[in-house]
Amino acid sequence: MSEVDLRIPFRERADKALQDGFLQQALTIATTKFIDLQREAFGEFPEGDALRDRARSIKEATLQRLDYYVEQLVENVERLGGHVHFATTPEDARRIVLDIASRTGARMAVKSKSMATEEIHLNEALEAAGVSPVETDLGEYIIQLAHERPSHIIAPAIHKTKGQVAELFARELGRPDVPADPEVLTAIARVELREKFLQADMGITGANFAVADTGTVVLVTNEGNGRMVTTLPRVHVAVMGVEKVIPSMTDLAVFLAILAKSATGQKLSVYTTLVRGPRRPAELEGPDEFHLVLLDNGRIDQISGTLREALYCLRCGACLNVCPVYRNIGGHAYGHTYPGPIGILLTAMLNGPGSVKDLAHASSLCGACADACPVRIDIPRMLIELRKEVEEKKIAPWSERVVFGALGWLLRHPRLFRLSAPVARALQRPFVRGGRIVRLPFFLGEWTRTRDLPPVAPATFSEWWASRTERTR
Amino acid sequence: MADAPVRAALMITCLGDMLYPDVGVAIVRLLEKLGVTVEFPRGQTCCGLPLFNSGYHAEARELAERLVTIFRDAPYVVVPSGSCAWMVKHEVPGLLKDTPLAADALRLAAKSYELSQFLVRVLGKTSFTGRVRGRVTYHDSCHLLRGLHESATPREILANLEGVELVELPGHDECCGFGGSFAVRLPEVSTAILDKKLANVEATGATCVVACDAGCLMQMSGGLTRRKSPVRAVHLAELLEDAR
Amino acid sequence: MSTRAEFLGRIRAQIAKAPALFVAAPSLRPALPREVADTIRREIAERWPATLERFQREFERVGGVLHRVATVDEVPAVVGTLARERGASSVIAWHPSALGFDPAAGLAGEKISCHLMPDARPDEAARRGLRETIATTPLGLTGVDLALAETGTIILRSGPGRPRSTSLLPACHVAVFDRTALVESLAQVSVFLESWHTEEASGAVINFITGPSRTADIELTLTRGVHGPKEVHAVFVERLIHD
Repeated sequence: MSEVDLRIPFRERADKALQDGFLQQALTIATTKFIDLQREAFGEFPEGDALRDRARSIKEATLQRLDYYVEQLVENVERLGGHVHFATTPEDARRIVLDIASRTGARMAVKSKSMATEEIHLNEALEAAGVSPVETDLGEYIIQLAHERPSHIIAPAIHKTKGQVAELFARELGRPDVPADPEVLTAIARVELREKFLQADMGITGANFAVADTGTVVLVTNEGNGRMVTTLPRVHVAVMGVEKVIPSMTDLAVFLAILAKSATGQKLSVYTTLVRGPRRPAELEGPDEFHLVLLDNGRIDQISGTLREALYCLRCGACLNVCPVYRNIGGHAYGHTYPGPIGILLTAMLNGPGSVKDLAHASSLCGACADACPVRIDIPRMLIELRKEVEEKKIAPWSERVVFGALGWLLRHPRLFRLSAPVARALQRPFVRGGRIVRLPFFLGEWTRTRDLPPVAPATFSEWWASRTERTR
Repeated sequence: MADAPVRAALMITCLGDMLYPDVGVAIVRLLEKLGVTVEFPRGQTCCGLPLFNSGYHAEARELAERLVTIFRDAPYVVVPSGSCAWMVKHEVPGLLKDTPLAADALRLAAKSYELSQFLVRVLGKTSFTGRVRGRVTYHDSCHLLRGLHESATPREILANLEGVELVELPGHDECCGFGGSFAVRLPEVSTAILDKKLANVEATGATCVVACDAGCLMQMSGGLTRRKSPVRAVHLAELLEDAR
Repeated sequence: MSTRAEFLGRIRAQIAKAPALFVAAPSLRPALPREVADTIRREIAERWPATLERFQREFERVGGVLHRVATVDEVPAVVGTLARERGASSVIAWHPSALGFDPAAGLAGEKISCHLMPDARPDEAARRGLRETIATTPLGLTGVDLALAETGTIILRSGPGRPRSTSLLPACHVAVFDRTALVESLAQVSVFLESWHTEEASGAVINFITGPSRTADIELTLTRGVHGPKEVHAVFVERLIHD
């Protein structure tokens, strides 16, 4: 699986993405489309705002009693004949799934789209254990064939052209002459994957929600693979972050009303599948075994942490679509499982503040993400907190701390601050052309490479005011 | 809405003082024509936003303390930059909440206004004569739009500005790419965002793009003059002559 | 691997030292959901034409096709036409106890053979044969538990005689319902979800289906019929099916 090389500095990875002409086009088209669809969906949905407040409240209330709801969920899943497992680390989660696979003799597993399984790098572990994982969400299927990682939380292959997909199918599926036509490509995937669904031993999914009151796991999909994967194989394993628990079915309706609208502008996704445990005894089909793997991986610590609010996330991708940084660099440049604004917070949650010493600054703090978020997560506030943590823990480079320290000192001394004006006016002279600063040394050159700057004025406002006060005396 | 003469202190901001004094001068002249006695409390430097946004909260707190003290006696504080106004109203109280200045910080937050908000919501003035004629377009700076939830007052003024045709900017609520230190930490991304903004600006056919934030103006004019564009980026205050 | 006790213990420890971000509560739930659900049905029964109209609008918006017949005896003719148009000579169907009527005879009259799903779980050999049939039959006929007007969604509960695959594997899904299935809003649906949970469920899955299977994963171009059905038809029967 081709990993992004994290040794390459983020700035360079971002710049490389900026140079990729097709990626730029794909990102603009896709994100603009998603934004328009979301705007339209909420535009004709006046109850939307109140429901978003409700949804946020439900998430907060659940966190306040998460132990109670998790316990209730576990009891209800087990009462229906399902099994619940507790994974603190990604390693735990992988081992649980592999144990189930080995015990049930699984050789091939079909997977419905799950960011949680990406997060724990499950596929590599399955392959190493001789269990063949097959991604069945079309976008995930494409990137699996391409040995890549998803570049968007809900549209994993938006960085690929139909031509690239056609070539990929021709090469990996041994089919000659595959036309670059999405209908044909989809039909090919349907046929290839139908075989896999019918033969698979195990189905692996994530879960958008788990309802504590009923022991129900909820899958929100469009293609039908979520249903296939939980109907045909004899074992179903759902891997889910523990923060996805919600109290009741009444709460579920609140989230369903806003989730698809935020993600794709649909009123509801094509399939919302409510799974309560393994099949009932008299049912024709459905898994004989149901396993729910509750995943911690840094989430539980954030209940009392600065990233608590990030636990409300519904993984809808709305913040990615409106983020000026994401819209220009795409998902891969971030270098981690989760990209975009919420991705920076989730990366810090999973891997610690050190992992985001550059990413925490991959934001102009414009706030579009907070506006778009269906549960109103204040992402900019937490980005600033992460920056503060990076500064306080001395993870930021010393040169930066020196500059900001000096700036802070200067701003605390008004006379020195005012004195800096004539000093700057003298120093700036060689860099001024036509009344604009066109070049500057050191880190300020990062600005002037592409933009001019106004020079320090011949008379600052303070100087003007002082002389005016003099004159009127 | 004020009928009696108003006293207001001007918070010029660090960028305003050093780089855009003409904006400050224009504001003083305009406010005085409107019957406002303008004060300029000594010792002001910066609201601390650049330090705050980069995580240097101890340093930002010290600047917040100075700010609250300096502006304690002002009945109103007028701030020509949306981001600085946001800092004063939303973050300064938080920084000082466990200090003896907590109450003063809340009072400062309550009496501070971004310029267009002060003109429209406090002075009740929406119609002005202008210093420019022709087509203009308006860029919503992020802190004013999303931080202070203000998109109406600048537009109201521009729509009623004699001799000026206001056209809506496509992507008017999209970031210009400034973001403070972001502009020099990730200059390529910052410039890519700016290029899209300027393409939208040029598509309107406007002679100038108006904003209420020094950071946005620095970024946009930086790109416009670099590409030798005839379009100018101007502060709202620079367009206003007098009340009608 | 953690034990349940360790896991819950850590959650509790975190909650103990975490201040709430704000005062918050989960949704208020109906104390007697079954009664509320009955009331919803009664009230909608009085305004069902308007609800049906809204359902039709939303259903068509997501790519569904609505047919109307007067009585349940006319359903086989609709299914027969759809089958013939798609070159199909056989259909699979929910068991009559789940459908509320038996389509086999009517379909035979249309020269369409009908494989009814069993209402009990057959042995493994029979199941294998049945799966082969299900996987190769072009049209699947089901009933509907709820028809949600707000979004054009049909909601199907699984169970004996009403397997999930009937509405999933065939390329064409036909769902038959009458006015008793109509509901207006997601909020009303949640009352039914609460109510169903108070009974012992004979099936493990509840499926909300909003139009045909789709994706836009390739260059954001919308295509239908990825893994699930390419077409969804709903047949509304004016006379109550259970008359």
